Amino acid sequence: MTVQDLAAAPISFRPGELEVNADGTGHLLGSKCRSCGAHFYPVREACAGCLSDDLETVRFSPRGTVYTYTVVRQSTPAFEVPYVLGYVDLPEGVRVLGQIGGCEPGDIRIGLPVVLSVEAFGSDEEGNQLMGYRFRPDEVGGGES
Amino acid sequence: MTDVFVLGVGMTQFGKHPDRTAADLGAEALQVAVRDAGIDPRLIEAAYCGHVFQGMVTGQRILAQVGLAGIPLSNVENACSSGATAVREASLAIRAGEHDVVVAVGTEHLTNRFRGALTPDKADPEAAVGATMPAVYAMRARRYMEEFSMTREQLALIAVKNKRNAAQNPLAHFKKEITVEDVLTSRPIADPLNLLDCSPVTDGAAAAILVSGSVARRLGDGRAIRLAASALRSGSVDVEPTSMTFEPLTRDTAVDAYERAGVGPDEVDFAEVHDCFSIAEVLRVEGLGLFPQGEYPAAVERGEADLGGKLPINPSGGLLGKGHPLGGTGVAQVVELVRQLRGEAGDRQIEGPRVGLAHCRGGKAVGIEGAACTVQVLVK
Repeated sequence: MTVQDLAAAPISFRPGELEVNADGTGHLLGSKCRSCGAHFYPVREACAGCLSDDLETVRFSPRGTVYTYTVVRQSTPAFEVPYVLGYVDLPEGVRVLGQIGGCEPGDIRIGLPVVLSVEAFGSDEEGNQLMGYRFRPDEVGGGES
Repeated sequence: MTDVFVLGVGMTQFGKHPDRTAADLGAEALQVAVRDAGIDPRLIEAAYCGHVFQGMVTGQRILAQVGLAGIPLSNVENACSSGATAVREASLAIRAGEHDVVVAVGTEHLTNRFRGALTPDKADPEAAVGATMPAVYAMRARRYMEEFSMTREQLALIAVKNKRNAAQNPLAHFKKEITVEDVLTSRPIADPLNLLDCSPVTDGAAAAILVSGSVARRLGDGRAIRLAASALRSGSVDVEPTSMTFEPLTRDTAVDAYERAGVGPDEVDFAEVHDCFSIAEVLRVEGLGLFPQGEYPAAVERGEADLGGKLPINPSGGLLGKGHPLGGTGVAQVVELVRQLRGEAGDRQIEGPRVGLAHCRGGKAVGIEGAACTVQVLVK
């Protein structure tokens, strides 16, 4: 990585949903209801549980487990196939859809611990590199159960 | 409040119509429905048009083609439930006493707009990471297989059944029967779903003429079928992650419909359900309470959902066999219900049905279980 690369501030592909830090790490953002404690992804205006509008924006845990997944073999022109897509349950009680990388599809299973990884994810209309997220098998945190 | 009856129905050939438009198809379906109702088209007081991708004022283009311009018309979008929502809006206008004769038409010309997989709206966070509709249902299928030990062959049998029914339906997109082997060797789309587990990209339209009880008695000639309930719900936000192998939205919409119609799931004689994918039929019928959760795949294997079975599901061929022109689908389900209840379904006629149910469910948005769900109950 060159000095120039380090100087360029990474740009989130969806700033309202993925916070990307200068060092290339990041968090998914959502809402927590201050009234009943429910969490939502993405950010909401009011709580679907108790209808309170007293919500705060929070950073979600990067670690979760795979609820279900698929290998997508036909998609839109915006995505090169094949890729793995999975729903991941986070400890706050939200389920987030994301691509799963860093392993062979055959190594993925329901219940697999995964961790969020901020990665290059397409570019904007001006050609700037955008940062998105994928989940990768979590070899440090939860490990294999 | 007046009862609502379906007096006339019509649909076009479902399939690929490269030289036609959505408005043109909608106009044809409307004309067929008017002839089927046997009424003077000038009796039609209002219209609702369901479509998804056909652009502004498609309904007005349809009315202009058939000489009915001038009456109140609303275009209705509710994803794959758009046509069914048009039927519901038409029924509400009659129940409210505002109108006596209302047409609901649903249309879609998809083959000139799409190839391959439909996706949620591109602004949706899930579309932004690569969600497609087949992928979402594939993930539900994988989870269902794990939780309920459904085999891949059992899943394929649903596509085989619906294509077999479609082969008996002259207006269906597909006329060819297929085997389990055909499904398992068709092109992979999103594991475990293959091409023949997915509804096709279809052009087509359907229309239904709804009338008040008094008009049905005066003009019905015994052919009017009572629309006993037309329920609609939007998907609720998950407060915590919920099972993707059961559909509270389908259940809750069905409960609304059963209560309004005064019938229970055990009284339903046959159903048209939203089988956009093979796994979808499983989730629908179990959500509707027509089969216990986890038991539908084995019931299909035993032939219980066949035309001659104890509870035929998708006698028309469903979305998998008849085709899925998004806006047209919900109205076409009502067409099938009416034809079956009248005993006019030809080679695919079910033995003496009294109660038919139609279920549509469409759309995907982040964090909600489903977008739009309708359940209609027709009683002879």
